[in-house]
Amino acid sequence: MATVVFNSVSKQYKGEGPLAVDALDLTIEDGEFMVLVGPSGCGKSTALRMIAGLEEVTSGDLSIGSKVVNDLPPGDRDIAMVFQNYALYPHMTVRDNIGFALKVAKRPKAEIKSRTEDAASMLGLTEYLDRLPKALSGGQRQRVAMGRAIVRNPQVFLMDEPLSNLDAKLRVQMRSEIIDIQKRLGTTMVYVTHDQVEAMTMGHRVAVMRLGLLQQVAPPQELYHQPANVFVAAFIGSPAMNLLSADLERDGDKLVASFDGHTITIDDRAVERYPDLPDHVGSPVILGLRPEHFAMDGDADLPDDQKLTLHVDLAEAMGAEVHIHSTVDLAPVELDGELVTADDGENGDSSVSGSKTKLIAKVDGIHTVRTGDETRLAVKTHLAHFFDPATGQPLR
Amino acid sequence: MSVKRKGPRAALVRALTYVLLVAVAAIVIFPFVVAVATSTKNNQDIYNYPPTLIPRENQTVSASSVGVEGDPKPLYSFPDSDATYVLVDNDVSIAEFRRLGDLERVIRVDVTLGIKTGDTVEIDGEQEDVFVVELDGIAVQAYRSRLTSGGRFVNLDDPSDIRFELVNLAEPETQFGPRLSNFSEVLIDKELGRSLTNTILVTLAVVGGQILTSILGGYAFARIDFKGRNSIFLVYLGSVMVPFVVLIIPLFQLMLQVGWLDNLAALIIPFVFTAYGTFLMRQFFVGVPKEIEEAALLDNASRSTILWKIMVPLARPAIATLATFGFLYAWNSFFWPLVIINSGNPDGRVLSLALSTLGGRSSTDVNLVFAGAVVAMTPPILVFLFAQRYFVRNSASSGLK
Repeated sequence: MATVVFNSVSKQYKGEGPLAVDALDLTIEDGEFMVLVGPSGCGKSTALRMIAGLEEVTSGDLSIGSKVVNDLPPGDRDIAMVFQNYALYPHMTVRDNIGFALKVAKRPKAEIKSRTEDAASMLGLTEYLDRLPKALSGGQRQRVAMGRAIVRNPQVFLMDEPLSNLDAKLRVQMRSEIIDIQKRLGTTMVYVTHDQVEAMTMGHRVAVMRLGLLQQVAPPQELYHQPANVFVAAFIGSPAMNLLSADLERDGDKLVASFDGHTITIDDRAVERYPDLPDHVGSPVILGLRPEHFAMDGDADLPDDQKLTLHVDLAEAMGAEVHIHSTVDLAPVELDGELVTADDGENGDSSVSGSKTKLIAKVDGIHTVRTGDETRLAVKTHLAHFFDPATGQPLR
Repeated sequence: MSVKRKGPRAALVRALTYVLLVAVAAIVIFPFVVAVATSTKNNQDIYNYPPTLIPRENQTVSASSVGVEGDPKPLYSFPDSDATYVLVDNDVSIAEFRRLGDLERVIRVDVTLGIKTGDTVEIDGEQEDVFVVELDGIAVQAYRSRLTSGGRFVNLDDPSDIRFELVNLAEPETQFGPRLSNFSEVLIDKELGRSLTNTILVTLAVVGGQILTSILGGYAFARIDFKGRNSIFLVYLGSVMVPFVVLIIPLFQLMLQVGWLDNLAALIIPFVFTAYGTFLMRQFFVGVPKEIEEAALLDNASRSTILWKIMVPLARPAIATLATFGFLYAWNSFFWPLVIINSGNPDGRVLSLALSTLGGRSSTDVNLVFAGAVVAMTPPILVFLFAQRYFVRNSASSGLK
């Protein structure tokens, strides 16, 4: 077991083009479950492959334990990796796949056998030991790949989107198994995913990356409730946070945000959380409202100046809740000239399209909302987030 | 998956398809059948008309059953008799007589059995002596039309019934009889065995060498990043376009310099390097997911372990393809051995050369030539049958999603 430390590590492919990883500073503690998350091309896999030694470090120091491993070949780093496509050796049985590393290390046969069987029983693979990978289901192959990593008893586990080839049900099951195994073995784990649900549920801490830059490292709850910038705010959470370009004005002793003809009063508690907010009166801000920050009028005890009426473009009854999709006439929020979108995974383009901004509100499932209705919603503005439209930084 | 259609029309189409396929298969396979059949025929059988596909030999009885000594005697029959005759002696002097008054009646007897009467008779303007000969137990007058040699035939069931006939006018009694000694004869007496050994040696060395160099070269071109890799590969691949005839003279000069003329090394060494094989293996290795190799790297496997324990087992279908092509090329190669191996050196001959020599030297023994051909074509057929299952099987991607 070991800590993994990125000390200003950068990676540039073929010595040209943009940095795939840009001066990454990140310490992964001994025994920690660290999730690297971000949209595709954000550099999370590159960072992982640098730990594995499959990519060279262009600059900076990468250490495992207390040893700088920049020039250490992958086999000498005492790490194990699970690949997205499992990368099982197709011509070897499950037993040989799991035991291959021990065989290469020339361990005694009896030891290979017992360690292989221990790993297999831990993963429920005992009865498949003599099968070839092609005779296994996707979930079983995934387990074999896990077994191959476990049997080595490495200092660090690396996982590169290990669940993305599984179906949804199996993914949920394997998710908890991986958490369980990591807890039992106590081995440092670095887990790469583009799925923010996996990131939220699995990691002790989550590192969000974008365009090679680390955006925020924090425990999942902190990431959700105190996003370090507008990208993290939009990326974490499903459905994604609604980002609205609003004009901030003062109305008496209250602050009000107005957009597309709607005006809502901002609760003082939000101003406490975002103390820079009053400085931006008279200028635009990005108002971040999570779908659950809305409630059906009447469900929440909120004053009338925190309510707005929206046209229902689409109502999705999910059972426990109803997702109300609506549109406001507002240019979508941009950051560095790019639209800020939610993750590239299953949530789709929930935030933006053209010169209109989509808005999703989550209300209690007991309400019947029909597509085409006008609905009046209360906004829990005390929970709202505020960002600087120029920098994307939170106003605090 | 194909969708099976039903109904009489579809059945008819399918039946016609099968008929067509069977017909084409029969046409393709017929020369092989003829070759195998002829290779087991004996020297008489190959000239029988009409030719048959099933080898036949003369029926015989033991010599003692007709009261003589020696080898088993063959059986014959004649169109004018139902009886079976034994050819007791096939080289007796026979006189052919023609009965006076019935000149169409030919009487063949042992030359000593005609008794000259002293009279003469004129036949077609010539004076002929008159003889007394026995015909069906009666003495008749005849003249001797010619002296020849033929066989003495004895009725198998009636030893007193003896006929003197020309052997080639008698109908041999035949039975199924393959002559397998054709093969030993061609292998030992015609020295095809040595050529077979040479060919096997050359082929194994060429195939083994090709597999080894192609695996190493293909892997390097596929996975090891070195300067100028792609340009070298293009040049190497371009050599496939150079026809072999262009290389014959320089290669011959080279062999002369190295001192390998008339030597099997000249048939092996220049052919263990193959651009085509290297290309084949490279294409295969390029298609193996990189992650498999990376996983092995993380398992602390060395390059050579990765190559021999992981890549090569995965590449079995490609290797089988390469081996089959290499085998056929080396086994059938004719022109280069013809150039390199002296015609007077039977110890250096390979099968293709020996066969062409056999065809020239033993052109009357068609059965032996065909036996040699069968010896030459059996191993390639066996190799193909063994290797073909690899052509259809590809296990490279089965461990992946």
